[in-house]
Amino acid sequence: MSYCVNCGVELESSLTACPLCHTPVINPNELQKLTAQSPFPTEKGKVDVVKRKDLGILVSIVLIATSLSCLLLNLFVFSGSPWSLFIIGACLVLFVLVFPAVIYTKLPIYISLLFDGVSIGVYLFLITFNTSNVEWFWKLALPILVLATILVEIFTLLLRSFSVSFLATSLYVFAESALLCVGIELLIRHYSNAPLHLTWSAIVLTVCGVIVVLLITLLSIRRLRDAVRRRLHF
Amino acid sequence: MQPNTNTPKVWYKLDLSAIVYPTLQRRDFSSVYRLSVVLKEPVDPALLQKAVDTALVRFPTYKTAIRKGLFWRYLEPNNRPGPFVQKDIRNFCMPMPFKAGNRYLLRVYYHDRRISLEAHHCLGDGTGGMYVLQTITAAYLRLLGHQISVGGFVKDIKEEPSPGELEDAYMRYANAKVSPSRPGEKTYRVRGTRAPFYTFNVIDGILSVNEVMAVASKYQATITEYLNSVLLYALLQKQQSDWHIKLRPVKIAMPVNLRRFFPSETLRNFITMVYPGVDPRLGDYTFEEIVKQVHNYMRYYINDKFLRGDITTNANTQRNPLIRVVPLFIKDFVVRMFYTKVQDRNSSAGLTNMGALKVPDDMKPYIDRFDIYMGQPFSCRTNCAIVSFEDTLTINFASSILESDVERLFFQKLVSDGIHVKIESNRTY
Repeated sequence: MSYCVNCGVELESSLTACPLCHTPVINPNELQKLTAQSPFPTEKGKVDVVKRKDLGILVSIVLIATSLSCLLLNLFVFSGSPWSLFIIGACLVLFVLVFPAVIYTKLPIYISLLFDGVSIGVYLFLITFNTSNVEWFWKLALPILVLATILVEIFTLLLRSFSVSFLATSLYVFAESALLCVGIELLIRHYSNAPLHLTWSAIVLTVCGVIVVLLITLLSIRRLRDAVRRRLHF
Repeated sequence: MQPNTNTPKVWYKLDLSAIVYPTLQRRDFSSVYRLSVVLKEPVDPALLQKAVDTALVRFPTYKTAIRKGLFWRYLEPNNRPGPFVQKDIRNFCMPMPFKAGNRYLLRVYYHDRRISLEAHHCLGDGTGGMYVLQTITAAYLRLLGHQISVGGFVKDIKEEPSPGELEDAYMRYANAKVSPSRPGEKTYRVRGTRAPFYTFNVIDGILSVNEVMAVASKYQATITEYLNSVLLYALLQKQQSDWHIKLRPVKIAMPVNLRRFFPSETLRNFITMVYPGVDPRLGDYTFEEIVKQVHNYMRYYINDKFLRGDITTNANTQRNPLIRVVPLFIKDFVVRMFYTKVQDRNSSAGLTNMGALKVPDDMKPYIDRFDIYMGQPFSCRTNCAIVSFEDTLTINFASSILESDVERLFFQKLVSDGIHVKIESNRTY
């Protein structure tokens, strides 16, 4: 039987410190480790994952039915152009977006985002069947999509690995926006065979650069960081 | 034989209190309370499962799932397999998603000699839950070959539930001619460091009923009044020691069992909150003055007249035709906002006292003690639940903050009053 020397309460025999004041339990006559078993279990429980099977089935059926009916209408009724590919592609993108949230929730977020990028790529490719040439897809749409997907993946990685504070998130957004704009301008210039130098994206780059430097300064000086948080909290 | 298709499907409206609890549901929070019984022998899980299966049929409002309607949620009978008894966990009272666990809103755990029942508050209050727990325990002991009679909190499993057990008793008594306004005052809130998700910090104090009663009568107070005063005293000291610009009133949210004042055999919610407190801005209170303040507050407010007014105020909100036609998602938004901004700030801590539990005489030899936990607090604070059985009085503190200052000040006061306190805890720091 042990008593806390600070609080005066009797402590259950498995406790190694008083839970009220954290004073350790030491019996000078028995300095060996306590072996009594705690009356509380040691395993931690986890909240059950809710399976949204019904919603998953419903969404899949609605999307498949929409795609099929549009395809049949396109083949046998309004067969002027392959317009149904717009709808089929949109259904595919929706299905891929909904899949990790409803059907298979254990998918790592990076793979989900990659699939999202691929599905948008497929949709854009399907659009080429309704346009006169496919050059815009290979030279412009696909590279921009790849760049955007990579930036989104990096953004997710940063959010999950480092701080997710308001200031840090703003820093990631501004830095990535600058990179995206520069990338888009260079790709447009490459597509239109114009000389590869920056015009409008240089303005975005400058503004974002100033903001990024400001944010890094704020983040590295605690006093400034606290002052900004105090004034801008919402 | 053809099933009778004309029989209407059974469903239950949520009672007046139960409407609020599901709206507060978050990914990391559910209004779940726990009632435990510690037996003298280790629990056999297979027999316990049998006992749960046979006993739960007697409580149709507990064997239910919650569903959403356009304007209100409702309970419907749940015939899915379960609830299954599980090995107990360290972080009990964890969130209870409505669609998980075969949609059951209660869980049964076992650990060594302990049987625990966790129920979502929308099913019923602690009294209703205690009927379920004791009936399950009696069924379990009968399966072990013991003779356990019916009475107290033990219901007859073979008996049909009476309509009175399933009723929303609030509506029967919400008939005052006036609806008094609700008190709304910002109170002191314990500042603490939020523990990581999946943590539930528990500190149990085990005391002797006779010792506490002797000390309480020295202050000319009941046990509830005395323990309320000790908690207020601890909170006042905590507020003084915290960094503060200005002091705030310290109040305790205490549920009152309305069955004591309004005859009802309902197993669903039938409680209302009272807020005993002291205001340190008026001056420094000695402990004796706090006891006197709490004693007078209880005498003044806890009577059928005031409580009827309180129920009527709550019921009038639900009866208002304009509120009734508002879609559920808007109601949810408004109720959550009201609870977070007003109701939750109305009190500095929660305290409930279930009092001395009635157990059939032939069941007493198999029971060591009872524990009750108010569950995870909605905001960063601590909740205290008290129950007594024979000469054992258990005070269970539950919190999701790292600091245990309130608990320390509370138990230190009891020790300084000459009460022997034994502490158990699942805290590891």
